[in-house]
Amino acid sequence: MAIAEQHVASAHTNSPVYEGFSWRSWLATVDHKKIGIIYIIVAFAFFVLGGIEAVLMRVQLGAANNTFLSADTYNQLFTMHATTMVFLVIMPMNVGIGNYIVPLMVGARDMAFPRLNALSIWLFIGGGLLLYLSFLTGGAPNAGWFAYAPLTQNQYSPGAGMDYWVLGLGLTGIASIAGGLNFIVTVLNMRAPGMTLNRLPLFVWMNLVVSFIIIFAFPTFTVASIQLLFDRQFGGAVFNPAQGGDALLWQHLFWFFGHPEVYILILPVMGMVSEILPTFSRKPIFGYSFVAYSGIAIGFLGFIVWAHHMFGTGMGPMANAFFSGASMVIAIPTGVKIFNWIATMWSGDLRLTTAMLYAIGFISMFIIGGISGITLASSPIDLQQTDSYYVVAHLHYVLFGGSILGLFAGAFYWFPKITGRMLDDKLGKIQFWLMMVSFNLTFFPMHIAGTEGMPRRIYTYEAGMGWEIWNQIETVGTFLLALSVLMFLYNAIKSIRSGVRASNDPWDASTLEWMIPSPPPSYNFLHVPTVTSRRPLWDAKYPHAAGDDHGSHSKPSNVRYEYTDENTPGAKDIHMPTLTFSPMWLSGGLTVAALGFIYINKEILGLPEGTAALGFIAIGIVMVFVGIRAWVVDSRRDSPYMSSHH
Amino acid sequence: MRKGAQVSKKRALALLFVSMMVLASCTNLPATTMYTYGDHATRILNDVMMPVFWMAVAVFVIVQGALVYTVIRFRSKKPDAPIPVQTHGNTNVEIAWTVAPAIVVLIVTVLSFRVQAANSYQPPEAIKICAVAHQWWFEFQYDVSNEECNPFSGAKSPEDAFVTASDLYIPVGQSVQIQLEAADVMHNFWVPKLAGKTYMIPGKTNYLAFKAEEPGIYRAFCAEFCGEAHAQMRFRVIALAPEEYAAWKTSYKNVPAVSTGTISVLGLTGDVARGAALFAEPKKQCMSCHIISGTAAKGKIGPNLTHYGNRLTIAAGVLPYSTDNLALWMQDPEAVKQGNLMGRVIKKGTLSDQEVADLVAYLDSMKLPVTKPAEK
Repeated sequence: MAIAEQHVASAHTNSPVYEGFSWRSWLATVDHKKIGIIYIIVAFAFFVLGGIEAVLMRVQLGAANNTFLSADTYNQLFTMHATTMVFLVIMPMNVGIGNYIVPLMVGARDMAFPRLNALSIWLFIGGGLLLYLSFLTGGAPNAGWFAYAPLTQNQYSPGAGMDYWVLGLGLTGIASIAGGLNFIVTVLNMRAPGMTLNRLPLFVWMNLVVSFIIIFAFPTFTVASIQLLFDRQFGGAVFNPAQGGDALLWQHLFWFFGHPEVYILILPVMGMVSEILPTFSRKPIFGYSFVAYSGIAIGFLGFIVWAHHMFGTGMGPMANAFFSGASMVIAIPTGVKIFNWIATMWSGDLRLTTAMLYAIGFISMFIIGGISGITLASSPIDLQQTDSYYVVAHLHYVLFGGSILGLFAGAFYWFPKITGRMLDDKLGKIQFWLMMVSFNLTFFPMHIAGTEGMPRRIYTYEAGMGWEIWNQIETVGTFLLALSVLMFLYNAIKSIRSGVRASNDPWDASTLEWMIPSPPPSYNFLHVPTVTSRRPLWDAKYPHAAGDDHGSHSKPSNVRYEYTDENTPGAKDIHMPTLTFSPMWLSGGLTVAALGFIYINKEILGLPEGTAALGFIAIGIVMVFVGIRAWVVDSRRDSPYMSSHH
Repeated sequence: MRKGAQVSKKRALALLFVSMMVLASCTNLPATTMYTYGDHATRILNDVMMPVFWMAVAVFVIVQGALVYTVIRFRSKKPDAPIPVQTHGNTNVEIAWTVAPAIVVLIVTVLSFRVQAANSYQPPEAIKICAVAHQWWFEFQYDVSNEECNPFSGAKSPEDAFVTASDLYIPVGQSVQIQLEAADVMHNFWVPKLAGKTYMIPGKTNYLAFKAEEPGIYRAFCAEFCGEAHAQMRFRVIALAPEEYAAWKTSYKNVPAVSTGTISVLGLTGDVARGAALFAEPKKQCMSCHIISGTAAKGKIGPNLTHYGNRLTIAAGVLPYSTDNLALWMQDPEAVKQGNLMGRVIKKGTLSDQEVADLVAYLDSMKLPVTKPAEK
């Protein structure tokens, strides 16, 4: 493999990364920014797929006793919709934006482990494609994204769908754990001089917390799903009560992962909002430590509330009381965050850009999702509302009204940094209002349908229950919601081609990523900056306004000093890691081997049972070894000792 | 002026929408949780759900109001406005709004614990009934021991056990304790107007105690996703006055009388005797899955069909009971309820229309004189 080493001279160009496109420069990249962009694009593609699944389901539910979809198709769609949105959309979108922005915010030139970062992206894509391959090979998983035992056992789910689910998510799980470790080491070890933990931007703080949640929560899920795979492939009986297993054990293991997962989905977005609100309020965040600590508190508490998903399972009143009480406690740090965000805007000079509108919309919708969350944390109320459409409403207010609206805020905020061009703000505002209206049309009536007794996960319902009107409104809302997502896609494509060129710092922001060109050069910072406050760029631009790290009021001055990286003369040669295909080989090999494991007890391709599967596994293992060898060779090439002879 | 008119029109629309919602949630719909007739559901509604609802409205108005007010009041009016005062925080204020939500959730927690304590109490004098969930129908056994009810205990209930399927009969004004079991996968027992949900878990016994306060027929569902036909796994609870319940029990225990006669179904004449003979014919396989007390039918895979003519619904709550609907079901079960196990044996055309008519006549003939209360 011929490797072009990138030595960047001090004579900098605007953006060497984006000048001239080649497939190789993307597929073999180890640049955290390119990897971030791939994450974002792939996650958006899955967002569209998950959205199509949602629209199909809503068409089916638009009328009582509808026959648009069959029961089994509907069950596949709701399983894949949730699995997609959780594992293939919100998580990777968070990781993508984090990948791009976190190293810039801490003043690093890349993630701590660039090749591991590349492994994460290709494993995530491999896992996602494997999951979707199931649609083409005889049926997608259809036992729900929560996969309650023993419905997932062979005798009740005989197809290969659940095996695709286990192994597809297994691959994305490895990607997430690797990514979590990478973020932790990056944030702890790669910070610019002076960037103490106490000065970390809140988006970085939340990514750090989430990375810890990932490395503690995901192993539980991985172990449980491997046990499920053994139940299905080798007759293990872990979750099969007919053979002495324990069906309820799966729920404990799943939710011990599944509830922290909710915070994995929301905390990075809370971090984004904590960056966007101060920027457009032209004020610092109100109560930095409270916001940071409440994020950490949520991270810890998230691990002791999992069984509030199981109040009806007969755990007993003591256990229910504990998990109910612990869940209530989470409302406190969440409330603190909301009050601090409002206080950040209080007496600010609010610039209502599209990014800011989305951030405000996020708070507004999250308030509703938070309140309905309290009702569900109450164990008696939960027994009426759980598994009804009320829960569907709640979770969409948190994950769409929360995570997705926040991600749109982040998209409008960082799009100029990532692409070098501005998104169309006018179109963005139209899209924002369309999304707010259609989102509420789609999901608010679900509270009512649920209270009126409509169970969830039903592909059909009878007429005369009083549910039809709400379902019709929801279906209309879904189409409008889809339209607003398409408007964003149009805006993004149009703006990449012909949007207004973005300056280094179009929003007059305060964190380090706005100090360098948009888009940044491959090496990010010509000179790694020295940080002396929480708002390094702001304080450099407004030296008379700032410098205060310590809660005092200061009379600011309006005078803005231009401050960019390029003004600093005398940068030396910057050595960046070289292109390598080795992570792709490795993750490709694991994906092929996983495909083999799915069919280990089945006949495929007209070959006897297990033959084709063993073939896939063998090919996969060979690819893994090719990948490992290339990895070793390429990293030796990048090692400072080996490259000293250059 | 025009702008003002537009705003008020918008407000009127919003008001209309909200009042529609409030109205709808207060209407006594078939499965609403807002009109309750059982102590379990009533305690949830009155003692915690409604107090929490009003607290939620207050919190919503205060916090959402603060947000909207802040955005409107402090939105930038001119592009070159001076940089606002750089406030970094205020510890006292922040402690205050840490304590405020803590107080709110403390109140909710206390209310919740009180209701939970009352609702989890299992009165020793309660009438014990066993519910076993199957893919995709509910079976109710009366007068069985805990072990006989538990499909995993090894103690099988006797073939002439006192069983109903898809219809649960309970007395009014007396606590009943339902022993909840599942034979295959997880299911969930939910009668919105009587009691909150409780899981039915294979290999784990759960109990739910509640008391119906008024006679009536109540809608009920499986609330846990349990496979292909989950959406159509429903049942009814029939709450009878105590003396009627006792009478029902006595008469139900009798073996159905062997009757004769004909009815008109599908434009054909269905003959009860011919139907009984068809049912008993091993080749037709009815008996390998179903039980009818007093006959040779001893199958335990499908629902017990004793006194089938008293059923309120067909195929576990999918169709209301009528001889026409029963014929529809037996002609092509898969068309009525996708995924059901009977459809794997009985396909469209497996039974001739004449056979269907005879079987319908037979099943419909097994009927007891039971007064049906009104739908609630």
